[in-house]
Amino acid sequence: MEAVKGGDLQQASILFDRYHARIFNFLARLTMDRPVAEDLTQNVFLRLIRYRNSYRPGSKFMPWIYQMARNVFSDHYHAARSKVNANVDVEKLSEAMADSNESWEQEEREKLLQLSLAKLEEEQRELLVLTRFQHLKYEEVALIMNTSVANIKVKVHRAIGKLREHYFELENT
Amino acid sequence: MENTESKLIDYIDGKLGADERAEVEHQIATNNEVKQMYDQLKEVISQLDSTRAVEPNSKLKIRFNAMLQEEITQHERPMGRQVFFNSGLLRIAAGVVFVLIGTGIFLWVSKNQQQQREIARLRFEMDSTKNAMLNLLHNQQSASQRVLGTTVAFQMPSADDEIVNALVKAMNEDPNTNVRLAALDALGKFKHEQRIRKFLITSLSVQTDPVVQISLIQLMVEMNERSILKELEEITRKKEVLKAVKDEAYSGILKLS
Repeated sequence: MEAVKGGDLQQASILFDRYHARIFNFLARLTMDRPVAEDLTQNVFLRLIRYRNSYRPGSKFMPWIYQMARNVFSDHYHAARSKVNANVDVEKLSEAMADSNESWEQEEREKLLQLSLAKLEEEQRELLVLTRFQHLKYEEVALIMNTSVANIKVKVHRAIGKLREHYFELENT
Repeated sequence: MENTESKLIDYIDGKLGADERAEVEHQIATNNEVKQMYDQLKEVISQLDSTRAVEPNSKLKIRFNAMLQEEITQHERPMGRQVFFNSGLLRIAAGVVFVLIGTGIFLWVSKNQQQQREIARLRFEMDSTKNAMLNLLHNQQSASQRVLGTTVAFQMPSADDEIVNALVKAMNEDPNTNVRLAALDALGKFKHEQRIRKFLITSLSVQTDPVVQISLIQLMVEMNERSILKELEEITRKKEVLKAVKDEAYSGILKLS
């Protein structure tokens, strides 16, 4: 990143290769929409290049790019006032996130999970995406969200608890 | 119950020591409510952990490469600071500059009674550009149009109060980070003007967007603006300010002291 900041923009290609799948996954799980997630991923890397001067040499790159991805997501949805919410269409959702190799049963459970995730508050969903899907450590998430590790742990546990409630409520309906 | 749930999550994640593990296992074995909660948590966590990654479309790389090449081309273009251009806008801006230069040469050569008419025409063109810029900047529907507005402002040889006010409003209040940063870029071009410096200094105390805060601090340090030292110290003390911003503030204090 320091090379990119120094004007060697071609090096951004290496950063893209290393991080775009992660960032795409993060945004895909938040937006629950592949095409939108692809657009936003592109936007994250465009910002990375244009706002390269805001990167502080010597600081960790990963929290920085995740902060950028969070800003891109936030700008996109808050500006459009079309947050993902509990009314999300489960059929559309599963189509958008479908994986042809999944069994029917797994697909159904995945749908239930996605729908339960959609019912969470935005921050709770974000925390679960980072810690469970992206497998980031609490320390890393604390850096991204600029808070303490203990706070992240409490919030993640609360989010899992809430997810459990939604999951079994939906399963029983 | 939240505490029990938290313990169960740690138990499932294998994060408990031997004593705590034994205690949780005892509770699961003897308390039906805890057992049910454990089963449910185990299923949800297992479902979360077994969810596979979503593969991005391979076209994403192609789109990125195209975007990167465009950025590199703009970066290498020998024309001072780069902001958000598109080729159409660049042509309009170049056209405006060409007309201004052409008009200037004509006035210098002729120096006659046509002078007043030409000045009027010049003013008209400046006003047209300014109006176009303000219209773009006030487009609430499209952030990219507002960014274009700031780009036009950046291209203008000078900025009157109306332009400056619009840019300051965009820098401080626009809901989109791109627009705020682009407005800051445009204002930065006129940073040698005292009134602009004042606006930039004031903005430092009201900005909450970390990316803009960092850019603003960097610009002020570049301007060697020592009057912001107190504000920088204030930033380092604010709890809600992002660490990266505080780091930049510390760095600024160091450079300006």
